[in-house]
Amino acid sequence: MTLSKENATDYLLQMYQVRAFEEQAEKSYMAGKIHGTMHLSIGQEASAIGSISTLEPTDFIIGHHRGHGLCIAKGADLNLMMAEFYGKENGYCRGRGGSMHIADVAGGNLGANGVVGGGIPMAVGIGIGLKMKGENQVLLAFFGDGAASTGAFHESMILAVLYQVPVVFICENNQYAMSFAANDWTTSKKIAAHGEIYGMASSESNDGNDLMAVKKSVQKAVDLARSGGGPSLIVNDTYRWRGHSKSDRNRYRTPEEIEEWKRKDPILKFRDYCKKEKLISEKEADQIKEQGYADIEAARVFAEASPDPKVETLEEGVYAP
Amino acid sequence: MREITYLEAVREAMTQEMERDSRVFLIGEDIGEYGGAFQVTYGMLEKFGHDRILDTPITELGLTGAAVGAALIGMRPIAEIMFMDFTTLASEQLVNQAAKLRFMFGGQSTVPMVLRTPAGSGTGAAEHHSQSFENWFVHVPGLKVVMPTSPYDVKGLLISSIRDDNPVVFIEHKLLYKTKGEVPEEMYEIPLGKADIKRAGKDLTIIATGIMVQKSLAAAEELAKEGIDIEIVDPRTLRPLDTETIVGSVKKTGKVLIVHEAVKTGGFGGELAGVIAESEAFGYLEAPIIRLAGKEVPIPYNRDLEQASVPQIADIVEKARELATLKV
Amino acid sequence: MAIEMIMPKVDMDQETGTVVEWTKTDGQQVKEGEIILVIETDKIAIDVEAPGTGILNGISAHPGDVIPIGTVIAYILEEGEEIPVVKAVTPPPVAEVMQATAEPAGDVSATPVAKKMAQVHGVDLSKVAPSGSGGKVTKDDVQSAISPPASVGGGEVIATPSARRTARISGVNLSLVQGSGPGGRIQAIDVENFQPGSNLPAASVVQSGESIPLIGMRRTIAERLTDSYQSIPHIQFTARVDMTNFIKARKDYNDLALERRDDKVSVTAMLVKLVAMVIADHPMINSSLVDDSIILHQDINIGVAVALEKGLIVPVVKNANQKGISKIALETTDLVKRAREEALVGADVRGGTFTITNLGPFGVEQFNAIINPPEAGILAIGATTQEVIALDEGTIAVRPIMRFTLSADHRIIDGAVAARFIADLKTTFENPILMNY
Repeated sequence: MTLSKENATDYLLQMYQVRAFEEQAEKSYMAGKIHGTMHLSIGQEASAIGSISTLEPTDFIIGHHRGHGLCIAKGADLNLMMAEFYGKENGYCRGRGGSMHIADVAGGNLGANGVVGGGIPMAVGIGIGLKMKGENQVLLAFFGDGAASTGAFHESMILAVLYQVPVVFICENNQYAMSFAANDWTTSKKIAAHGEIYGMASSESNDGNDLMAVKKSVQKAVDLARSGGGPSLIVNDTYRWRGHSKSDRNRYRTPEEIEEWKRKDPILKFRDYCKKEKLISEKEADQIKEQGYADIEAARVFAEASPDPKVETLEEGVYAP
Repeated sequence: MREITYLEAVREAMTQEMERDSRVFLIGEDIGEYGGAFQVTYGMLEKFGHDRILDTPITELGLTGAAVGAALIGMRPIAEIMFMDFTTLASEQLVNQAAKLRFMFGGQSTVPMVLRTPAGSGTGAAEHHSQSFENWFVHVPGLKVVMPTSPYDVKGLLISSIRDDNPVVFIEHKLLYKTKGEVPEEMYEIPLGKADIKRAGKDLTIIATGIMVQKSLAAAEELAKEGIDIEIVDPRTLRPLDTETIVGSVKKTGKVLIVHEAVKTGGFGGELAGVIAESEAFGYLEAPIIRLAGKEVPIPYNRDLEQASVPQIADIVEKARELATLKV
Repeated sequence: MAIEMIMPKVDMDQETGTVVEWTKTDGQQVKEGEIILVIETDKIAIDVEAPGTGILNGISAHPGDVIPIGTVIAYILEEGEEIPVVKAVTPPPVAEVMQATAEPAGDVSATPVAKKMAQVHGVDLSKVAPSGSGGKVTKDDVQSAISPPASVGGGEVIATPSARRTARISGVNLSLVQGSGPGGRIQAIDVENFQPGSNLPAASVVQSGESIPLIGMRRTIAERLTDSYQSIPHIQFTARVDMTNFIKARKDYNDLALERRDDKVSVTAMLVKLVAMVIADHPMINSSLVDDSIILHQDINIGVAVALEKGLIVPVVKNANQKGISKIALETTDLVKRAREEALVGADVRGGTFTITNLGPFGVEQFNAIINPPEAGILAIGATTQEVIALDEGTIAVRPIMRFTLSADHRIIDGAVAARFIADLKTTFENPILMNY
């Protein structure tokens, strides 16, 4: 698989936007400007961008609570995303959803979810609907190793294969549910093996920090789904640098382990790849990085200047008219 | 007009709507060849085929979530959970997802699905196949809850529910399936959120849901012989509730007896009592608001015990008489 | 450029952090990401990294300080840089101190509650008679100065929302309305039927076509009599007595009373004494049936039925067998007077063990009374009229004759028991001297 310079630039920019967004989110939070909590995906950029880079604009994704990267990879407007993160009226969800529940339905992002595994059964249904519509659209359904142990996951695997839905289920194994180590009960290979047992069209596990490896694996599954070949289960082996949420004290893992994974930084990996393939030079990469951070800074300014929702509008929008 | 059973009316509503709108499909356990646990979907597989009648293995959570997802993407699924008792397994997708997606995403999404489920006791099926949880779902903003009590009502309300753009929990009392009534052959809608006065009267208001409407009508006939004239209000939709009709009736009679099968504590009767007490009707009350409801027990197997667990006609007669003659 | 180091937020609901320890000090070189500070939130220690590389300076938060999140607590400076000058933060405006409203200065010594009440109700404390120690005006004193609201039966009005609404609309004072609902609850219909201007229903002259609601005393009487009539098997025994000696005895007592300037001895007083003395020999008559036991009462408390405009009331003479006729006369006169004034209290009408009802003054020849539960019997006294009687010798005489009728509870009192009592009564009526034998 070869990349065009244009695509490579896009991907690297997105990776930096994700990284910058997460770091800014963290800063804003620590400065007391963000209410609630958030789940950062620093270190998981390759899984998000590598997977979603395989989609057409008319395809869909559905995600999980650690979904900022997925959102950006699907082409979200950074300003509206940041505004939602800040809980503002002109955020994607009018400030009602916040970090864990960002959706950009018009852009094909059917939403993040606050319940682990909450999106997986819905993914089956979306697949059923897409199939019934008959327009060859595909859905990528993201979840983590934490969801791979839920009843929702297993029921959904069964139903997805039964109805041969055009869905690629992507498990981002970042080694920990909240604090429970995935390795205590499974591995990426084992999760992928479940896919085989259930009858998935393709069941693979990848180095989740290698954008090209992820892209290749997911592309195969997407092509199968689009051509009526049914669902697949792809597992991206990766790591989150930060704790589960802002309340996480990282008691369940060692600083050494975190350092080890930091050395496998997916962004640096992709930069190396691009340099080797002569797609993006070191200097260009730095410019792209600056661009990414600047985009996020602009989003921050936009969000902080945005209006809060009015309390009088609280009860709006619960029901469709 | 021809008479059909409540069950046939449910089937007819779904069949006619599926013929009219290709986005409507069914998903549930044993709804295909088997025809559904209560035979509601009998014959529909032949008519619509496997592409629109989705039989599933035992996956309440999965199938309900699938319905939510399909609705999200623009279809209009009708999911069936064969006993309301098993909605417990599906509640994550109903309560956390279906009910909230529209609000949570600031209006970007709609979930036009119906979850149909048979509820109630009286068949000897005991603890795990006899419950009535309507109030759990009434408690969730974002859901609509409908409990039709007659063949005419069930057809019109189901058609409206399918056409509604919100997730509707549609509760059918098992013992109503065989009841007969006049049902128009053509399609018609009964608006959600509109109550029905099943019997007009002036001495006492009974607000009843589910099978208790039938029992209350029988009780009213008996009490009419004693000169007590009872008005029976059937809310039909529990959420959103037609408070206007209810308040109007209580203002008229000044005395209200609420009858439902579900357990009294935490039941819908408490909600009704609160609505009445907070309304204009309060100033017209001549006696305390009385609730007659299920006893604080899981439904037992033994027939007599099962009968004693929920209000029967004699219980309604006694309580209504007590209230009408101001013994309370 | 100076990099601000702030007190970080690390928890969802954290508002402050406590400085525990700086591992680097002012002037020392630090590297970005290096841990230079330990803070504490909720008893958990958190390591805080330097936000940049440079010289740590301007530390303004020290071990033990509790700092709000977001506050700048130090700077990372470049070589030669100065600590930024920050505008002095004006302290947040202090909430206005609420001034307690000054107590009205009073010469009058009164309790705080009394003062408040007087203020609210517009009572001049100096005009209120103090009953507290040291001449202090108390709450009760002020209460007496305020006219108490009229209320029937002790104050609290129990009425349905509908009744209250009706009362509000028609301007009826609920405390004057009798309730017909359970436990005396006032229903809307009671308010609708209420006749303003009278506490008691029905005028003394009943117009035909008028409807008298069965409420209050009327209702109570109706209920009790129905209950008695329906649940007690009444047997009735009538006896005729020659009242010659009774009348003479009464005259003698009255002569005595006149001499001693005591109250006159009424027929009622004589009846009470006579019946009490005879009952003393017939304990079964002085009993009550309670559940499965017949309780023989020790005291003989004779109730006297008194007719009122609106009904009947039965005040009781306690221990009538132990009191002299004069004393009984005093008591009965007082009781009857107070009964007619509706000034009887609970104690006056409770504890009766036997009742006498006298319709003689109305010319009723004979009648059967209904027992007053939980008593076992009631004696109905008829009129005394001159009648022709046949004497034992076969001759005819004209004597004052009275018929009395005993109604007895046949569950307790057998025919023979009743008959013996009647015989004794007759004998005593005809020989009143036996009262004291």
